[in-house]
Amino acid sequence: MKQIEIKNLTYSYDHESLAVDHVSFSIEKGSYTTIIGHNGSGKSTIAKLIIGLLEAESGEIFVDGLPLNLENLAAIRSKVGIVFQNPDNQFIGATVRDDIAFGLENHCVEQEKMDDIINRFAEKVNMTRYLDSEPSHLSGGQKQRVAIAGVLAMNPDVIIFDESTSMLDPQGKDEINRVIQELHADKKMTIISITHNIEEVAQSDHVLVLEKGKVVMEGDPKEILLQTDKLIKMNLDIPFSVKMQLELAKNGIKADQYISMEGLVNELCQYNLKK
Amino acid sequence: MPIQFEKVSHHYNAGTQFAYVALDEIDLTLKEGKVTAIIGATGSGKTTLVQHLNALLLPTSGKVTVLDRVIDSAEKPKKLKELRKKVGLVFQFPEYQLFEETIEKDICFGPKNFGVSEQEAKKRAHEVIRLVGLDESFLQKSPLDLSGGQKRRVAIAGILAMDPDVLVLDEPTAGLDPQGAQQMMSLFMNLNKKLKKTVLMVTHDMEHVLNYCDEVVVVRDGKIVTHVEVREFFKDTTLLNELHILPPSVIQFREMLNDKGFKLDSSIMDIKTLAKAIAKEVKR
Amino acid sequence: MKSFALGRYVPLDSLIHRMDPRAKIMAMILLLIGIFIPAGFIGYAVIGVLICAGVIIAKLSLDFIWRSMKPMLFMLVFLLIINLLVIKTGTLLATIWVFTIYSGAIMQTLYIVVRLMLMIVITTLLTATTKPLEMTLGIEDLLKPFVRFKVPAHEIAMMISIALRFIPTLIEETERIMRAQQSRGVDLQEGKIKEKIMAVLSLIVPLFISAFQRAEDLANAMEARGYNPGWKRTRYKKLTMQSRDWGLLMVCCLLDVALIGIAVL
Repeated sequence: MKQIEIKNLTYSYDHESLAVDHVSFSIEKGSYTTIIGHNGSGKSTIAKLIIGLLEAESGEIFVDGLPLNLENLAAIRSKVGIVFQNPDNQFIGATVRDDIAFGLENHCVEQEKMDDIINRFAEKVNMTRYLDSEPSHLSGGQKQRVAIAGVLAMNPDVIIFDESTSMLDPQGKDEINRVIQELHADKKMTIISITHNIEEVAQSDHVLVLEKGKVVMEGDPKEILLQTDKLIKMNLDIPFSVKMQLELAKNGIKADQYISMEGLVNELCQYNLKK
Repeated sequence: MPIQFEKVSHHYNAGTQFAYVALDEIDLTLKEGKVTAIIGATGSGKTTLVQHLNALLLPTSGKVTVLDRVIDSAEKPKKLKELRKKVGLVFQFPEYQLFEETIEKDICFGPKNFGVSEQEAKKRAHEVIRLVGLDESFLQKSPLDLSGGQKRRVAIAGILAMDPDVLVLDEPTAGLDPQGAQQMMSLFMNLNKKLKKTVLMVTHDMEHVLNYCDEVVVVRDGKIVTHVEVREFFKDTTLLNELHILPPSVIQFREMLNDKGFKLDSSIMDIKTLAKAIAKEVKR
Repeated sequence: MKSFALGRYVPLDSLIHRMDPRAKIMAMILLLIGIFIPAGFIGYAVIGVLICAGVIIAKLSLDFIWRSMKPMLFMLVFLLIINLLVIKTGTLLATIWVFTIYSGAIMQTLYIVVRLMLMIVITTLLTATTKPLEMTLGIEDLLKPFVRFKVPAHEIAMMISIALRFIPTLIEETERIMRAQQSRGVDLQEGKIKEKIMAVLSLIVPLFISAFQRAEDLANAMEARGYNPGWKRTRYKKLTMQSRDWGLLMVCCLLDVALIGIAVL
């Protein structure tokens, strides 16, 4: 089942160059898709188009078969949630509790049900202890977790992470990645993650590589990440295990093609046992 | 002259209910001409530490010696401008400090504040814009028209135009894509190797620490935990664990193999040597 | 920041802290009206006793009340002197050089000083016991009847609460930009006029740019989470008037009626 379908999407900020250039792709229900590419390749623009914050110049976006237009805007925004990059600029409420409630209020959830929902999702992102804290007393990672809880509370089908970890310290990055992996494990939510973290790509189901507003590569992470020549040519990062395999090959060791360190370690252990 | 901290403490909001100790009697000597990484968790006191280097923050107690200037908590400091000229401090997300109509004016702003003539400042602007990897055609543009990464370069150029001897950078690659981050790091290496600038950087990126820095200073709870050479630092896996620092991928990978019975030497810290060592062990 | 007490919320737990913000705002308005009813010192004494009781119930320290009054002290002294010298009713009490002081002046001046001090304590009692967010909710609800006269009650409340939310962020940002520019040789204390103007510009321009960026991000985040000022929405924080809140209003109303009674008789 297709969750999101994008056909021939085009967008331009300045009416000269195209930020999104005739892009088409689709995303399966319950899948975990990563989108990579340099800053300025059009990744975030696509996210904003999907959620209807920008209006496409041409092309179509379908969410659950529903075309994105003014009429369906509210319906689509209740299906798709997004967590942005800057933790400070998306914290709206005075406290964690109020911030999670903000989305519920907008979706006209009955007041009596709110506390229950807030508690449930605060627990899901491990923020129960901080429900009455103000944003100025929270770390970046904690604020992002609140943002995730705020999105999840609206019960969306799709959650987009738009470089949600890029302004965080390692601990914060780790916290958010763990939440993403947990959501993925449930298989209920369709996850789209715009990221620079190539190791995260290795853990996803599907990858899109963007360059200058175009989708230049698309497919299974393994299939994409092992095309090292192409990735290097685009100045994109490659996973450590793939770099290692290239070096090992120079030393006459042909390890099979792995995109995770664990896989490669196991393979090398096999080698060691065989001798 | 090195940079020296002697029993330096810094207390915020002393005497109120919000009082806390950001630096607690630290002693630290940093050699000239090195690239030193300052690492530690958020809130450990790294930023407070570096802001003492150009006297933006003054010690509550203790003595800071930077180049030939002594800042003692006991005396009222004067003429801090001279020190600020010699120690260029690049804040986190420095792109937010751009404010002039053109990039050239913005770059000239620092030098002119320090008494450099208009003409000389412009000359320097032409030099530093190339140094940060942009070309002179940028000078007449508005800083607002640039991409995030370019803005950051311009902001750094504005500091370099002051011609400081010491360059202090607070998380200079935060928020950049991997390619942008790498270019930024090469720029700092260039400044260190060719122009002999002493570079200090606050960072969370262990790959950068391993690949570009000479020494590491670890700050925790306002105290210096350790100050060693980078290779020494990454050899001490027990300390890394204790500090909750995820080591660079090479070391992670090496340790994963060692856990499974490989005997790879703990001094191996680059991918090429590691590949050779693995090959040797597998083929043996 | 320690000495700045006027208008600050004091996080304590007391009966007054727990009261409905609407009741508190209305009570404040009623008390302020009471002050302006000319019921003489008896009236002020009654209001004073009531307010003292309020301060004690709210667990506010005398030190805090004193500090919130401090910024107004200069004005009080100024008014005192002017009044003493200008008003010439009653009997002549003393002559100092060319200045004359009459008994009426002393009475008038005392009136004004007492009146101002009461006003400060009343407003402090409200702001110190009401969280900014609750205050906005209260204002929103109280403005609701005026929606039909095109008063955008909800929008006003939303704007106030977002402004409150971003004050600490912007203060932090200002500090950071100031330090960044100081690192570039900006000297906010010394320098010629032209340099000072540049120094201020170097602070204000980046602050504006970043505030606009934040505003845009925030608008996107709000919209993405389904906010639209025109759309119907529910509210998480419901304010409910309890008997104690009605009680407070009754007391204040009765007070005003009594004061009017005294004034008329």
